[in-house]
Amino acid sequence: MVLGSGFYVLSFHENDKLNISKGLNKMSKDVSLGKTFFAGIWDSNPVLRLLLGMCPTLAVTAAVKPALTMGLSVVFVLLFSNIVVSLLRHQLKPHLRILMFTLTIATAVTIADLYLKAFMPEMSASLGPYIPLIIVNCIIIGRAEACASKNGLIVSIIDALGMGAGFTITLCVLAAIREVLATGNIFEITVMPGSFTPWAAMGMPVGAFITLGLILGAVNIISKKTA
Amino acid sequence: MSNNETKNPILFFMQESWLLLVSAILFGCLLACLSAAWQPKIIQNEIDKFNALAGGLLSEAKGFQNAGESISVDIGKGKTYSVRVKKGTDAAGNLVGWAFVCEGSGFADKIKLVVATDAAFEKLAGFGVLSSNETPGFGDKITIKDGFYQSQFKGAPVTELELTKVGDAETIDSRIVAISGATVTSEAVVKTFNTFLLPIKEAMAEQGLL
Amino acid sequence: MPTPVAAGVNSWFLNKFELERLEMDTLQTLLLGFIGIVLVNNLVLTKFLGICPFLGVSGRLDMAFGMGLAVTFVVTLAGTLTWIIDHVFLIGTSLEVMRYLCFILVIAGAVQLVEMYLRKFFPALYESFGIFLPLITTNCAILGLCLFVNLWGIDNLLEAVVLSVGAGIGFTLAICIMAGIRENLELADVPECLQGAPITLITAGVLTLAFMGFAGMIR
Repeated sequence: MVLGSGFYVLSFHENDKLNISKGLNKMSKDVSLGKTFFAGIWDSNPVLRLLLGMCPTLAVTAAVKPALTMGLSVVFVLLFSNIVVSLLRHQLKPHLRILMFTLTIATAVTIADLYLKAFMPEMSASLGPYIPLIIVNCIIIGRAEACASKNGLIVSIIDALGMGAGFTITLCVLAAIREVLATGNIFEITVMPGSFTPWAAMGMPVGAFITLGLILGAVNIISKKTA
Repeated sequence: MSNNETKNPILFFMQESWLLLVSAILFGCLLACLSAAWQPKIIQNEIDKFNALAGGLLSEAKGFQNAGESISVDIGKGKTYSVRVKKGTDAAGNLVGWAFVCEGSGFADKIKLVVATDAAFEKLAGFGVLSSNETPGFGDKITIKDGFYQSQFKGAPVTELELTKVGDAETIDSRIVAISGATVTSEAVVKTFNTFLLPIKEAMAEQGLL
Repeated sequence: MPTPVAAGVNSWFLNKFELERLEMDTLQTLLLGFIGIVLVNNLVLTKFLGICPFLGVSGRLDMAFGMGLAVTFVVTLAGTLTWIIDHVFLIGTSLEVMRYLCFILVIAGAVQLVEMYLRKFFPALYESFGIFLPLITTNCAILGLCLFVNLWGIDNLLEAVVLSVGAGIGFTLAICIMAGIRENLELADVPECLQGAPITLITAGVLTLAFMGFAGMIR
């Protein structure tokens, strides 16, 4: 029910709502694992199609490195929660399931946070509170509800990997555009000609919002052409 | 819900929530184990970062040890910040300088600095930025090691520092030239120095360290 | 077990002399903190928290206001509760590793309680913003505020409460401004591919540019 209303309120137009429900139905009916995987990358890409997980998408994409770290952390948490939920799906009581999902996700996020603090302290400091905020990332609880609590282990793992890959790729593309325009570098390698004046605004919140808006517009055009 | 009146409420509660309770305990244990395994590493990371920054400022220093009691500095608005001064020593164990962590409010968020001074606490050895969230391209110039802004502090006297908009950045004195376009950030760093330096010097003299 | 911090909490209520001495300083800190979190560090426009409802519910002004009120209510409750739990239980017993787990469970519990309470005692109020409540559990603004209060090292209860209320009001402000703009945007000629989410994001971008003017105002 939580997610039902979530998706309802999140949708902008009838179109979007249709897209979301199509995406979800597709996921649960599809038996082909390859299709499940690639659905997460394009057809029901969490960021571009379902508009989920916007906070990290906007917040950590000023450079590619933090975006990649964030993407991989989300893949880990998604995998952990999908595996646990899928294994326990027959024992779940309907009214306690959201609590159980939250517990699992919070545990996974704490593990990821501890790992980053211990082995990648620089990255952990620059991501700051956005790592613990993965807990409230709608993608993860959404996949636990829509896929892992209904499907077996293998499907859940593939789904987690597909969705995670879709999220990571989107984040990296957005971050690459912003980093190149904001600093002229990517992964500390200069790619822009010397005469290029960095657009400082791209590194600021305004750059995040506008770039994502334009990417969504571009995705709309592409999907209309291929449809 | 109507049939649970006939059941024992505790039994009913257990039946409904055993999975939640068991997994909460299991996850708790998992986290406790991981935390116990990684906590020393996390603490070591913080020490390493401090040593790397402070060691970059005091090039002769080979190690840093806690010195004296922690000092609580009044940072205004009825708040205090607790500072732990560390003693930098060379390979032979001789005192070469002092270093400590302090913080102030910058343009966007708090700026955490590592400040180092010479052995007599008379001259600054410079500062390094532990964490900051300043505007890229403007305020974040304070983080450039040996950049125009940071180098002005190398050798500056331990007194009340003063920020100027125009001036000669080459002369090392208590006048610090601001980064153009980031006056707020430049001012924040100078203000942090003014808040911490003299009270710490006073407290260290009281503790008999100087 | 009276931890040193818990004693500090008590002093805000018990030690009148200290309170009077600190009154002016405290008032200033609280006021600056409040303005800071509403305008300068607005959670939505500078920290990217609560973007999902910000994009989803900002279509109509009355809906946006309802959502804003619900968030303000829950964030005040959650911010206060998590601060108390953090300082009384977690820091005292060095169980900081359980922080995220406790925070999210407190938030989920608070949302459930508020929902049940409203449904039973204020059905009219429940009708008007009750539908937003289940959504709030996964609203980043709530957990984000709790985490930022912890990150900024807020060490007294009063300040934590003021910041929580401020965060809620800041969220309401942002979402209502957005709703006002979007109501007018419906009459504008937007390219087909940008309709809906994309143009909302671009508008939000321009809005953050406006809010950047407040940055550096409070030090």
